[in-house]
Order: sequence, then C-alpha cells, then structure tokens
Amino acid sequence: MTFEIASRLTEIFLCLAFLQQGVEHLRRFRDERRLFLARSALCLLVISGVGAPWPLVGLALLSLATLVRFQGPYNGGSDRMGLLALWCLAISHLLPTQAWREVVFGYLGAQLTLSYFISGWVKIVNPDWRAGIALQQVFRFSAYPVSEGLRRWADRPRVLRMMSWAVMLFELAFPLTLVSQASLAAGLTVAALFHLANACLFGLNRFFWTWVATYPAILWLQDRLF
Amino acid sequence: MTVLGVLRLLAPALIPSWNFFDVIADSPRVEYARLPAPDAETEAWREFRPRPQRVSPATMAGRLLWNARWNESLFVTSCAERLLAAPGAHSEDEIFHRIAADLADGADAGDGWLSFRIVLLSQQPDAIDREIAFVAPPRRLSDIPVR
Repeated sequence: MTFEIASRLTEIFLCLAFLQQGVEHLRRFRDERRLFLARSALCLLVISGVGAPWPLVGLALLSLATLVRFQGPYNGGSDRMGLLALWCLAISHLLPTQAWREVVFGYLGAQLTLSYFISGWVKIVNPDWRAGIALQQVFRFSAYPVSEGLRRWADRPRVLRMMSWAVMLFELAFPLTLVSQASLAAGLTVAALFHLANACLFGLNRFFWTWVATYPAILWLQDRLF
Repeated sequence: MTVLGVLRLLAPALIPSWNFFDVIADSPRVEYARLPAPDAETEAWREFRPRPQRVSPATMAGRLLWNARWNESLFVTSCAERLLAAPGAHSEDEIFHRIAADLADGADAGDGWLSFRIVLLSQQPDAIDREIAFVAPPRRLSDIPVR
C-alpha cells in the first residue's frame, strides 16, 4: 500500500467514524449540535477531497473547541485515538518533505501497535488480571456491561480467567504480527473482532470504528518497514 | 481557557498512555432526586438511566451505528469520576444538564428542585459495597438548561 493511498484511506475512514459520532450529537443540545454540524460538514469535505488539506486542518482546529466544550474527551480512549489520528494526518499534510510526512504518519501506526501492546502489559503485571478477578469485577460492578443480565458472567470465573489470558496474550503478541502482511491481516482481523465484542458487551461502538479507521496506517507501516 | 490549558487537554491524545483497564477502580453510579424545596430531606433517590435486564443481539448490532444514549451515559460516568477526582463546576453542570434534559423529555418534567449524588461501588470480600461519595447542592429545575 502506498503512502498516499494509506493516508487517504485513513482520512476517509476516520471522517466516516466522525460522521457516525456526529449524528449521535445532533439529537440533543443546541451547542453540541452546532459543533458537530460544523464537524460533519468538514468531514464531508475531507471525504470528497475538496480543498485538501484545509478541511482536515479545520477539523484538527475544531477538535480543540470540542475538547474545551467537554473539558476533555467525550468518550475517553476512543476520542483520544480519533484525535491522535486526526492530528497526525493534519500535521503530515502540512509538512514540507515526504520523509517527515512519513515519520508523522508512521507515528500513528506505531501508536496503534502500542495501544495493544501496552494495554496487554499493564494487565499482565496486575495479579488480579492474571487470576481473572479483574474481568470478573468489570462484569460484576463496573459501569460498562450494557445489561444487568451480562453481570451473571461474573459467576463464571474459569471462563473469565481464560478470556483474560486470551486478551492479554493477544495484546502482547500483537507487535509480532508485523513480521508479514499475512500475519498482520490476521492480527487486525482478531483485533477488529475484539473491538466488536467490546462494542456489543460494553457499548463501546466508537472504539470499533475509530480503531478500524486507523488500520491503513499500520498496513502501510508494515509494508514500509519489512 | 488559556492556550496552555487547551494543550493540556490535547497532550494525552497525542502522547497516549494506553493503560486501558489496568486497574478496576471503584465504579460510580449517578442517582438523582426531585425535591419540593432546596432544604428538603429525601430518601427517594433513583438511579440515572439504570441498565435494562437484557439487550437483544439485534439491538447490540444496531448500537454499532446509533448508540447516542449509552455514549452520553458513559460521558456522565466520566463526569462523575472527574467530579470525585477534582471537584469542578463543569462536571456538576453537565450531570445536572443531562438529568434535567431526561426529565424534560419524559413524564417526570415539572417544577421543583433537583439534586444528584454519586454512589461508589466497590468489591469487598463477600459483597459489593455502596458508599455515597458526593451529594450535589440542589438546583431549581427551571434554572437548568435542557436544550
């Protein structure tokens, strides 16, 4: 995958993810509606390719207003990944040389890899995660399960210990998938299914779309490095 | 807000920590109560947006594309966490704002006063413990913007 194609695909996927988020904000408060209508209009310009790269730069600047509005991200990690991708793309477009553009876009791919590896590392060093207790607590009393019925999963400690180890080992092993295109494709498929499960069980739909949107960056990085 | 303040909000996105779910911390729940007067006592606290007993696979699939209410509930949870970590007007305003908007949307609209509290749930050896960690001073419902 060439740099131009990967960068363009990431832009388009990210803007589609932003449009999905934007629609959710249009139903509620007047100030949010204004902010997200403007963001959606800029997304449509980015997708259509009109006036590039300025709509993307506009989106990056507008993201500052959104951060101020909510005094941080609206939805934690997924919004942070969206911001990271957006700023990497916008800065990459404004840099004068191809080498620097690739460095900034490569940073996004590297951070995507780290997002899995570090998430696995911070879990495996925690004895509660290794024993499956942490995942039991997530189901038993955290704010995330989308229904009370799902809390019954907390009563299946052996299943949850196996699930904990599966998640931790997959996250830690993710950087190894970079060795070939086939292994990376397999790794990204498993990762996407993991995000899909989180979307269904914990309602984290924004994670799914935002992470998948950045996959072209890592596909390009793998091709560039190996 | 100063430029430095904005950069402080942006920096964790550009240099992320990625420590998702490293520790399962005590979990906040927001409960609210309608009051006839600001100094009235009440035990009639109701959980803000309690979870349904069951969510069908079709609804889960649909929420991939439309999950506004749940994402707003997660934002309210974030505000509750921020409020406990560093009390501030923004998080308190947001929680009042969203509870009042729900009340205005439903049959529960009307006059009076509104308060909310944050109950922290934590795992104890034999049970889930509930501790009241914060109670917001009541506000007159008609003073809270809902649009």
